Amino acid sequence: MSSIAELQKQVREGKNLRITGRADNTDKEFINISSYSGVVEYFPEELVITLKAGTTIQEINNTLAAYGQALPFFTESLEKTIGAVYATSGPEFSDSVLGVQIINGRGELLNFGGQVMKNVAGYDVSKLLVGSMGRLALVTQISIKILPQRIAEQFQLKPPPKHKVSEIILNFESKLKKVFDPYGVFI
Amino acid sequence: MSILSQLKRALPKNTVIFGSENTRPFECDGLSVYKQEPLAVVLPNNIAQIKKVIEICRKNNTPIVSRGAGTGLSGGATPLEGSVVLGFSKLTQIISIDEEKKIAVLEPGVRNLAISEAVEEFGLYYAPDPSSQIACTIGGNVAENAGGVHCLKYGLTVQNVEAIKMLTIDGEELLLTRQDEGIGLLALMNGSEGLLGVITEITVKLTPKPELARLVMAGFSSVRDCADTVAEIIKKGIIPSGLEMMDKFAIEASEAFAHPGYPLDAQALLLCELDGAIDSVNEDLNKVLGLLSNATTTRVSENEDERLLFWKGRKDAFPSIGRLSPDYYCMDGTIPKRHLATVLEKISELSAHYKLRVANVFHAGDGNLHPLILYNASRPGELEKTESFGMDILKLCVEMGGSITGEHGVGIEKLDAMCHQFSSAELDVFHQIKNAFDPISLLNPGKAVPTLHRCAELGNMHVHHGELPHPELERF
Repeated sequence: MSSIAELQKQVREGKNLRITGRADNTDKEFINISSYSGVVEYFPEELVITLKAGTTIQEINNTLAAYGQALPFFTESLEKTIGAVYATSGPEFSDSVLGVQIINGRGELLNFGGQVMKNVAGYDVSKLLVGSMGRLALVTQISIKILPQRIAEQFQLKPPPKHKVSEIILNFESKLKKVFDPYGVFI
Repeated sequence: MSILSQLKRALPKNTVIFGSENTRPFECDGLSVYKQEPLAVVLPNNIAQIKKVIEICRKNNTPIVSRGAGTGLSGGATPLEGSVVLGFSKLTQIISIDEEKKIAVLEPGVRNLAISEAVEEFGLYYAPDPSSQIACTIGGNVAENAGGVHCLKYGLTVQNVEAIKMLTIDGEELLLTRQDEGIGLLALMNGSEGLLGVITEITVKLTPKPELARLVMAGFSSVRDCADTVAEIIKKGIIPSGLEMMDKFAIEASEAFAHPGYPLDAQALLLCELDGAIDSVNEDLNKVLGLLSNATTTRVSENEDERLLFWKGRKDAFPSIGRLSPDYYCMDGTIPKRHLATVLEKISELSAHYKLRVANVFHAGDGNLHPLILYNASRPGELEKTESFGMDILKLCVEMGGSITGEHGVGIEKLDAMCHQFSSAELDVFHQIKNAFDPISLLNPGKAVPTLHRCAELGNMHVHHGELPHPELERF
C-alpha cells in the first residue's frame, strides 16, 4: 500500500509521469494509485464521504448502500477508481465535490475545500481540477457530497457530450497547468 | 489627460459619477465598518461600455472594483483607494427565458428575486435564495457563490449556473459553459469575488416549483436534542428543502419582532421544510414527525400563509436582533454538523469571556453557522473586541474541520482568518491563479486572498506538520 510520503517522493523524482488507477498498469512512467484506496471517513448523517483516490466505485457503492445512500452522479464502470472519475468528468460530477487533497508538481501536499457543504474561502480548486486528466496534479483524496439512494438516482443520468473549447480558454488552461505543475512533471 | 477626463470622454453623460458627494453611496457594501471613497463610479449601459472602462483602467493602471447591489457582507465591493467602481445597476435586462430547457439568460444586474418573478408564469423559479434576494444581483451572486436557506437540496449558486460570459483584463471575451471540455473554469469563476474577470452575462438553471411545501416547527429543551434530531432526519433518507436552527436568544428576538408564534420556553428551535410532490411531502412529513419525540412543542404549517409566517421569524432574524443592539456583527463559519452542540457551547463561553452577547441562527442542513455578535461601535474599543471574538469563532470552525466562510465570502473582512485555514503553499496557489487571469493585478486587487507577508505578520499562521512555512520571510 503506497503512502502519501511515497507518492510525494515519486512525484519529486519523476519525469513525464502519468497517473493510472488500473492495477495492471505497472509501467515505470505510471504513478499507480490503485493501491492507495479506501474510505478515509464516512458520516452518513452529514451526507459526506472522504475517499482515497484509488477507491473503486464498487467499493464506494457497497459502503454507501449499507446506509441507504448513493453517489449522485453517472458512473460508467464499477471498476473505475474515484480518482479516474474525478480526472475525466465535468460539472455534473464537480457539483458533488466538496474538497480535495493533492500533490502538486513540486511534490507539495495541499488541501482545498473540505467536508462541509458550503465553503467559499479561496478559489474553488477542488472543482477546478475536475476534468484535468491528471495533467495538473496528483489527486490523492476526494470528499464528496452523497445523497439518499432514491434522490441520488435522479442525478445518475449520463451527461451530454462535451464541446471543444476556444483557443483563449485553452490558453488559460495551460497557464493554470503551470500554477500546479511548473516543471511539467505530469503529462 | 486624467483618467476621469478619459472616462467622461469615452462614455455617455450620467454614466460616470465623481466627486465625494456623488460617490458617497458607493463607499461601502453591506459591511459598513469599512469605507473608502473611490476615484469614480461608472454605471455602464452595455458591454461595449464595460470594455471601454476596462481598457481605460488598464492603460491608466487603475484598479477596478465590480459591484452589484452592494449587499455583500464581507467588503468584496468596498472601493479601493484610487479605484474605479464598475456598477451593474443599469444592466437589468432578462435577455431570454427558455421554459422548455428551463434556463434564463441574464444581464449581471438582474435582481435574484426578479428572476423568480419573471418565470413564475411558467411554474418555475430560481432556487438559490440569499436573505438579501430582494435586492442582490445575479452577478454578485456568482461572484460570491451565494447560498441561502435551500442549499442542502438545491445547491449554491455554482450548481445553478449553466454558463457565463466574462471579459478578461485584456478585454477578451470568454464564454464558459457546463458542456465545455477540460477543467472546471466555470466553477472557478463562481466565488472568485471579482478578482479574475468581469462577468457580463449569466445563464441560470430554473427549477420547477414544487406542488407542495410544508414547514415543521419544533421547540427543544436543549441545543443537543435539536442537533441530534437534525442528524436523525438526514439519516432517515430525507433531504428537507430547508433545515434551520435558532438558539433561545434568536427565538426571543424574532418572536418579539415578527410574531411567528415561536415557543418562548424552548432553548432551540428547528424549522424543517419539506417540498416536492404532494404524496412524497406527506410521507416525509410523517417520518419527520416520528422523529420529534424529544421536542417540547411541534407545529406543522396547515396552509401557505402559515408556512410563510413560520419562515418570517427566521428570515427576519437579523433585523430583529439588530433592534436589540446599536450594532451587530454577523459571522459566517461552517462546521461539520456533528460538532454543532460543542461549537455552540464554546461560543457561549467566549461570549462570557468577551462580555458581548451573541445570538445564533444556523443553516443546520449544511453546517453554516451565523453567530450575531451584539456590540456598540460608539464605545471605544468595542469594535476591536468584537472582531477578536469573531476571529476566535472562525478559528474554532477551522479547528472543527470547517471553514471561515460558507456563503458571505472573504472580501477584506476575512483576510486574516484565511491565514488560519490555508498553508502558505495553498495561498500561493490562489495568488498564482489570480496572476494567470490578471497578471497586472487590477481586478479587485488585495481582496479575498491575504499576502504571505500579512499572514507572517499575524504570527499565528497555519503551521503544516510542525514546520513554519517560508522561514525566509521576515516576521514582524
